[in-house]
Amino acid sequence: MFGYLLKRLIQMTLVLWVVSVIVFLMMSFTGDPVFMVVPIDATDAEIAQARRLLGLDQSLLVQYGKFLTSLVQGDFGNSYVFRQPAMTLILERMPATVEMVLVAMALAIAVAIPLGVYAGANPNSRISRVIMAGSLLGISLPGFWVGMVLIYLFAVHWGVFPSSGRGDTAELFGLRISLLTWDGWHHIMLPAITLSLGTMAILLRMTRAGMMEVGRQDFMKFARAKGATRRDVLYKHGLKNALIPVVTIFGLQLGDLIAFATITETIFSWPGMGKLLIDSIYRADRPVIVVYLMLVALIFVVINFIVDIVYTMIDPRITLK
Amino acid sequence: MKYLSQTALRAGAVGVAVLAAAASMAQADGKSVTIGLTSDPSHLYPLAGEELSSNIMYYHLYDPLVKRAGDLSFGPGLAESWENVDETTWRFKLRDGVTFHNGNAFTASDVVFTVEKARESIRPDLVANIASITAVDDTTVEIKTPKPYAVLPNDLAELLILDEEYTTATGDTDMDLKPMGTGPYMLDQWIKEEKLVLKAFDGYWAGAPKIKEVTFRPITNPATRTAALLTGEVDVIQDLAVRDVDRVKKEGGFSVITRPSLLNVVLAMDMRENSPTIEGKNPMTDQRVRAAIAQAIDVDAINKIVMNGLATPSDQYVPASHIGHVDGLNFREMYPLDIEGAKALMAEAGYADGFTMTLDATNNRYVNDAQIAQALASMLAKINIDLQLNIMPKSNFWGYIRVPTENSSFIMSGWDVPSGDAGSMYGALFYTRGKKDGYGQVNRGSYSNAEMDALVDKADSTPKIEERDALLQEATKILMADVPMIPLHYEQDIYAARDGVMLEPRVDKFLWAYDMDVN
Repeated sequence: MFGYLLKRLIQMTLVLWVVSVIVFLMMSFTGDPVFMVVPIDATDAEIAQARRLLGLDQSLLVQYGKFLTSLVQGDFGNSYVFRQPAMTLILERMPATVEMVLVAMALAIAVAIPLGVYAGANPNSRISRVIMAGSLLGISLPGFWVGMVLIYLFAVHWGVFPSSGRGDTAELFGLRISLLTWDGWHHIMLPAITLSLGTMAILLRMTRAGMMEVGRQDFMKFARAKGATRRDVLYKHGLKNALIPVVTIFGLQLGDLIAFATITETIFSWPGMGKLLIDSIYRADRPVIVVYLMLVALIFVVINFIVDIVYTMIDPRITLK
Repeated sequence: MKYLSQTALRAGAVGVAVLAAAASMAQADGKSVTIGLTSDPSHLYPLAGEELSSNIMYYHLYDPLVKRAGDLSFGPGLAESWENVDETTWRFKLRDGVTFHNGNAFTASDVVFTVEKARESIRPDLVANIASITAVDDTTVEIKTPKPYAVLPNDLAELLILDEEYTTATGDTDMDLKPMGTGPYMLDQWIKEEKLVLKAFDGYWAGAPKIKEVTFRPITNPATRTAALLTGEVDVIQDLAVRDVDRVKKEGGFSVITRPSLLNVVLAMDMRENSPTIEGKNPMTDQRVRAAIAQAIDVDAINKIVMNGLATPSDQYVPASHIGHVDGLNFREMYPLDIEGAKALMAEAGYADGFTMTLDATNNRYVNDAQIAQALASMLAKINIDLQLNIMPKSNFWGYIRVPTENSSFIMSGWDVPSGDAGSMYGALFYTRGKKDGYGQVNRGSYSNAEMDALVDKADSTPKIEERDALLQEATKILMADVPMIPLHYEQDIYAARDGVMLEPRVDKFLWAYDMDVN
């Protein structure tokens, strides 16, 4: 077990290092960040001063070297635009993104699994066909369109939900969480629904496919013949065996949503990390982008590790190597 | 299970009661307004950077010595009065009895401190025309300029005064989060990307603000911003999307307020013998070719079709309110739309067959910039100019077109002059490059006219505004005849507000809650 953990840790460090190199190289193509910060009629002397203050007056290799040495000391660099530590900027916004993603994922699972199991067990019923058609819509409708339609219907037309922003928050362990207030839930519903639709549709279809494949297996008929209830047959015997690909997709989607819920955050003015990322890309704010993408790589690595552990829990035949 | 749900119910009821009580308390305190901005401010420290949302915050929290009003007129701010002691020396008499939000008295040493801090910050341009500053006594400062400079007060309208004691103790990084100024509002709460709340500073020297609480909500998506206005979540929004104008007008209870912006969209033409994207000799060195290009562009069509009528064709390089504007002179009358006339000019110059060149433009900086570029390509094709379009995001654009302009022949960009003085624009854009430090640093077309340079030099050497105005007007006439740059149109600033909000839009696009009122 220890050997396995060590191997994963080394892999993780390698991934993070490669990501940082790629981002540094990419950012050299997106324009000089100095010009986003100084006034347009700045003289050469003023620009040189700005370069010096931002640490941009040295070669890329030297800048990367400085970045690595600061990194091991825990200093992730300061944003060019905000002049605040990049990591602080990202962590400030993380609770908002994470809570929206968690609510979206919870919604997705709550709807996708039962419907997927039903559609898989009764593939030819009319209800199943409606469910599958619905899932097609969920996959193909673009998030920004769905979001705007929801805002128009529920906020502007019927006035049931607020159109944007995060609700009141309460503090828990020093983090501001809006799920602890009624106003917070009121604000999170529309963005979470918008975000959940794509994942919901994918999970539903995977669950159905898995269930249909498992349904053909002999042990299912045997369990039914043994006298297990229909619910036990479907969920305890069937679903558990169909779950491996579903869990894989779930892990990937979770990482994807946390890292790139940008469009939903922009539409709903949700103060999350995704919006910071897109703004930083527009403004060529390299320190924030490099820290953000390394953090995203870390999140993906951790999630995949947890998914691997979950495999062993679902299917005892799988072992960690 | 039952026990848990009962406790939850009780907790919920208490929570709702507390929220309701807090809400009613906030409303009982006085007028408040919620403003939807296009983006969250990046800074609250004036010397950290310049960007519209941050600028809007600076002027709520801080004050300059000279105040710039919404119509670009200048008047006393923290300085009550000023005078020239001699050609290069100014004395500013500071207002007595002004305090910062923390109670510290505002004195001359704070002004001296601010100037020195600006010089070593990322905004030394704010004090470029201040050679030295001394505090004569607690309420008088003496400023020496490097040479006679008539518009020093206009420049000082952008220098916001810091509290020496507080700023030194707090440090630059934290000043961005914990501002301390003499302005009409204090920072109550700033949750990044969510809301920024200001509350009134009742001890403000010009009188306590009418609106006691101002909440700024950054909503970048234009459709969501309009939705927030229509649902009542915000009272005023900045930059109403052009396609939503009709919708908001039709909806009862809201009004759309527009005014021409200061931002002039301009086309800079290269005037070097050899231009990077043109083969052979550069045709634009001939004034007739430049005039032909100007006469091939149908600014009214661009206004109607690309800008939906929400642009104002430019008459000169600066608006009528500015020093250096010549009454009655109109670019559109000097170079009216005339394809036949343009073709004749091209033929006269020897380019009846036209030539090929590239237009560099942005796609995310000016309203419909990419579409304007496309329209220009089709218009110039009529006089046989094959315009290749090179469109890029603004983060790449500024570095790409930067002087010494090694990549560009024809550039579409914008220029605004919040100081109300054409001299700063002419000095930066049209003065011969490389001749004098601090001049011509944005002269992307390499335009050089010794007569124009001399006029700018003389204008920058006189302490009298009327003389400066006269000299700059002569420069304007030369530039309009030479046409190194074609001014297209001024964009339109579009705001929307619910009924009951009194908003008079400022020319410089800043929003100032002190001037607003709410019913």
